[in-house]
Amino acid sequence: MFKILRDLLRYNREFAIGFVLTLGVFLFALAHFWAPMPDSAIYLLPPDMPPSAQYWFGTTSRGQDVLWQMSSAIWNTMLFGITVTILSRLLAVAVGMISGYLGGKWDEALMTLNDTMIALPNIPILLLVYFVMRDSMSWPVLAATAALLGWNYDARLIRSVTLSLRNREFTRHAVFAGMSVPQILIRQHLPYVMPVIFFTAMNNLIWAIGLEVTLSVLGFSDINRPTIGGMIYWANQHQAIIAGIWWWIVFPIIAIVLLFLGLFLLAISVNEYIDPRSRLSRMGA
Amino acid sequence: MLSVVEKTPLSVDAAPVLKVEGLKAYYQMNYFGVRREVRAVDDVTLTIKRNEIYGIAGESSSGKSSLIKTIAGAITPPLRVVEGSVKFDFGGKVLDVYGEPERMKKARWQHLSYIMQGSMNVLNPVRKVKHAFHDFAFEHMGLSERAFRERVEKHLQRIGLDPRVLESFPHQLSGGMRQRLTIALATVCEPDFIIADEPTTALDVLVQQDVLALIKDIQRRMGASIIFVTHDMTVHAAIADRIGIVYAGRLVEEGPTLDVFRQPQHPYTAHLIASLPRLGDKTRRSALPGKPPNLAEPPSGCRFHPRCPLAIDKCKTDNPPLENRLSGRVACWRAGEVAAA
Repeated sequence: MFKILRDLLRYNREFAIGFVLTLGVFLFALAHFWAPMPDSAIYLLPPDMPPSAQYWFGTTSRGQDVLWQMSSAIWNTMLFGITVTILSRLLAVAVGMISGYLGGKWDEALMTLNDTMIALPNIPILLLVYFVMRDSMSWPVLAATAALLGWNYDARLIRSVTLSLRNREFTRHAVFAGMSVPQILIRQHLPYVMPVIFFTAMNNLIWAIGLEVTLSVLGFSDINRPTIGGMIYWANQHQAIIAGIWWWIVFPIIAIVLLFLGLFLLAISVNEYIDPRSRLSRMGA
Repeated sequence: MLSVVEKTPLSVDAAPVLKVEGLKAYYQMNYFGVRREVRAVDDVTLTIKRNEIYGIAGESSSGKSSLIKTIAGAITPPLRVVEGSVKFDFGGKVLDVYGEPERMKKARWQHLSYIMQGSMNVLNPVRKVKHAFHDFAFEHMGLSERAFRERVEKHLQRIGLDPRVLESFPHQLSGGMRQRLTIALATVCEPDFIIADEPTTALDVLVQQDVLALIKDIQRRMGASIIFVTHDMTVHAAIADRIGIVYAGRLVEEGPTLDVFRQPQHPYTAHLIASLPRLGDKTRRSALPGKPPNLAEPPSGCRFHPRCPLAIDKCKTDNPPLENRLSGRVACWRAGEVAAA
């Protein structure tokens, strides 16, 4: 594992840049555990202070330090994104592989469900869930709802890969040798589907973070829990742009762009690594 | 070195290891209420003895592959067995392929292995070769991980492969190496019966020769029986003890290889053999007129009659039975009337 990481850093510049960016943003987010004040506290500091040696990224109109707010916000946003990604990947892989491999009635039933989900508009449904849940709306509920909406395109993609694998010789051989359906799916097909899962996972993570930002900017989330979108929501509420408090909006946006960029670079380079052919050609073997 | 030394090599022992009786397997399709039935295997009866290499010949779409798949019990809808039975006898243990699916599943790979068509692609492209051995053979051998690995390495060495190939991905190996690997994979459990579907078709002549010698060598050493399919008559001539000729889903002739080549009894066999090029002979090979029949609507009577130069009226109405004649069996009303080409 350690050796793989070292090789990737040495031979793959995209990976190195993506790794450094993501690690940097992650460490920055991790720092919120050592924050000098709780992230929910307001009016502890003088409001509207521009970036200075004392307050590196300035303070908000609500008397919070932008630095520590951002640290918590990125942590919460990433947590949300990763939860959505993991949940929706589980759904997408299960649905895609089962419907692709078993075919027939399973395929029909699952793909009908899948296509129905594709046809449903995401944002209105999330808003509906928010209005129904209202007070009991917490981020895990929102993440679960987003995950239920975010698996369908990728399930179709994974299904298409499995569909072609089903008719390959190695599958027929495995069936003949007496491997069971779960064994074939996990041992024979999953490694093949893995790059697809990885790539869609990165896309999904970026989509989930974007969704979280969208909902929070509109105020449809737990607004007392700092997130990137939540920060922009509060900045808008206090008319930060008109008031010239640019640091309240610019720094969160820079952070999220760096995170997106890092994740994207990681996605393409890890993808290249997983395919043994492109890995070897890169290493010159 | 091998656990099967007690089996006497080179002698074809009398007890049949495979008995196929009256086997009918059809592709049954139902499109928009229209039923279509393709009779890919129609009433085939054959037996294969221990230590024997049996070749099945025939042109494309004659039902060779369907027959061999049905024998292996590796069929999926729309191909279904309509009638008949396939029974293996592995050392006194009779196994009905279509009667006892559970026992059949256990016997696979351990007693019965299958080298499939396009078997060069049997290896999963994204996994190392060693995983293929583990997936297919480990459970059937009942060895510890280490003993299993040693066994596999020894087996590869015997087949002329460096055990290091276990650590490579399929795309790093040449076609011939992959073919050897699939043969190694099919024989690592030392099965009693090997089914091979076009094991050498994708290879060039030199590699083909190599692989055929390998198959024959392994068969001799392990005392296994082999049934294999190919349209390449020269391959049959090289390794088969007996050949069966399939035309339009039916077995039309069967006999010891030499006899079939020297004295074909069925006009179709005679044509197949006459079409082979011979050293020094520069005359043009005549092609058989017509095409193999559509198996959804096979011709009445003998299925070969529309293309047969010897056809008489009886051939159009009555289907000739497969009857003993000389050293083999043949299904033709005018059997033996063709002069050997």
